[in-house]
Amino acid sequence: MPPLDAAAPAVEVRGLVREFKGVIRAVDGLDLELSAGEIYGFLGPNGAGKTTLVRILTTLLRPTSGYARVAGFDVVSEADRVRRSIGVALQEAAIDPLMTGRELLRMQGALHGLRGAEAKRRASGLLERVGLTDAADRRVGGYSGGMRRRLDLALALVHRPDVLFLDEPTTGLDPTSRAALWREVRALNDEGTTVFLTTQYLEEAEQLADRVGIIAAGRLEAEGTPDALKARVGEPRLIVTIDDPADAGDAREALATLGEIEAADPAAPCRLVLLTGGGKEAIPPAIRALDARSVAVELVEVESPTLDDVFAAVTGSRLEGASKPEATAA
Amino acid sequence: MSALAREGRVVTALGRRALSVQFRRAQLLMPTFVLPLMLLAVIASGTSAAEDLPGFPDVDSYLSFVLPGTIIQGALLAGLTSGIALASDIESGFFDRLLAAPVRRVSLVLGRLAGTLGLSVLQTAFFLLVALLFGARYPGGAVGLVGTLALAAVTAVGVGGIAAAIALRTGSLSLMQSIFPFIFVLLFTAPAFFPRELLDPVLADLAVYNPLTYVVEAARGLLAGAAELGSPLAGFGSALALAAATIALAVLALAERLRKA
Repeated sequence: MPPLDAAAPAVEVRGLVREFKGVIRAVDGLDLELSAGEIYGFLGPNGAGKTTLVRILTTLLRPTSGYARVAGFDVVSEADRVRRSIGVALQEAAIDPLMTGRELLRMQGALHGLRGAEAKRRASGLLERVGLTDAADRRVGGYSGGMRRRLDLALALVHRPDVLFLDEPTTGLDPTSRAALWREVRALNDEGTTVFLTTQYLEEAEQLADRVGIIAAGRLEAEGTPDALKARVGEPRLIVTIDDPADAGDAREALATLGEIEAADPAAPCRLVLLTGGGKEAIPPAIRALDARSVAVELVEVESPTLDDVFAAVTGSRLEGASKPEATAA
Repeated sequence: MSALAREGRVVTALGRRALSVQFRRAQLLMPTFVLPLMLLAVIASGTSAAEDLPGFPDVDSYLSFVLPGTIIQGALLAGLTSGIALASDIESGFFDRLLAAPVRRVSLVLGRLAGTLGLSVLQTAFFLLVALLFGARYPGGAVGLVGTLALAAVTAVGVGGIAAAIALRTGSLSLMQSIFPFIFVLLFTAPAFFPRELLDPVLADLAVYNPLTYVVEAARGLLAGAAELGSPLAGFGSALALAAATIALAVLALAERLRKA
């Protein structure tokens, strides 16, 4: 299969609408464009329309209006060409528990036109790649959640697709399995695969995605690199906790040379907040400045806006289970 | 690579998968292999006196006479379970995996039915062997046996087509399971275990319109090597017409499902 034209968008969505039963607008006028070779993270809570969009882009659902092109082909009128270009790992890994991993991979190979010997070789190679060689001939029903997701990813790769769709690939996985899957997704992207990933995990979007789109109620509310999105809602803050409240005046003077200081909180006299354009780069000069005034420091931490802050700013609500603001302690 | 050969490989792969999974699912194996034999045991031992009724055809044994009924019952159940398995694939999301692949939609239906065909051949061979051990004889010889295997397989595909069409229209596993009793209505409105001449007049009239009538009689004629018991031509004609019609129905049901997606 020829590689995607680097100049053409890997995914192009214009005015996409999908209604269910003529009333519910699961996708409500989406515009979206993915460049070839990027990882795009689609972030939103349950019911935001993420899965509906993935199902349209993978030809499983028809749009009510608007259009979508994947790998340069229209998802409705050129569905077969789209299917040749994409790999799909759907939510709740749709794999038959009565089949073995190897059987599933060989069947998937046949579905993508591989002949017997070729499908067999490809299956063995992929099983090794996702670390399932030892479990290859066991029924999938006995696999752990992480093993199933890895197998699902391998299934999506059988035909070396240009664009890979991963619908909540790590939902319900333990941190180790999640990290393993992330490594694999990064490796695939390094090999040139464009990845469209939906997630409800902020950390996943932050760790993996070159660009993030935030979806709520079927609409794209914000889009950009994680850093650009976070910069939209505020700059990092340096939080300094000193040992002795009597040093607060000296500390304020020392830190004032580095940036603007927020008004003191009478309830926390040892806590000073410095607004800094930099992130953790601001820690060493702050410590040096405080040390020069002999102010004893208990803790210095950087508090950055998170994608959840961005999410809250653009949608007015927070993602369920979102983490507290990130802190880099020193 | 010719597109046809490619689709052929898809159908083979899906058929192989359907067949192997069938053998791993006890709830599908019981009705297809065990239930028809249990019914055969009951009928062959409990109603064998029917053989002495005036008008009963001159056959080798009552067991040989009712065996075709069991074989066709097996074919019905093989077809029905393929619909159940398809509904299960739809409910679990596995069918989406197949839909997201670059294959002709008709291959997805034919792949499922290829599994049904394989299942029916194995099942019929098993019934023929078990009945042989219990004294059934096949004067029709190799031609009769191969003909019966083929006839049952085409019938199973025909029933599988209806079951697949219903599964594709409804996507409901529980609905598919509730269809089970209707299989027996189809079977008992055909001369599966009694000659047509000895059926109640109403049933006998109904039997004329039941395609299984001709299939059962043809299997009987083939196994006994006696065309007067049933015309193979009528049997194959009915089975093939049923299969063609129901495959078309299933393909239409899939197209309708995709149109509504």
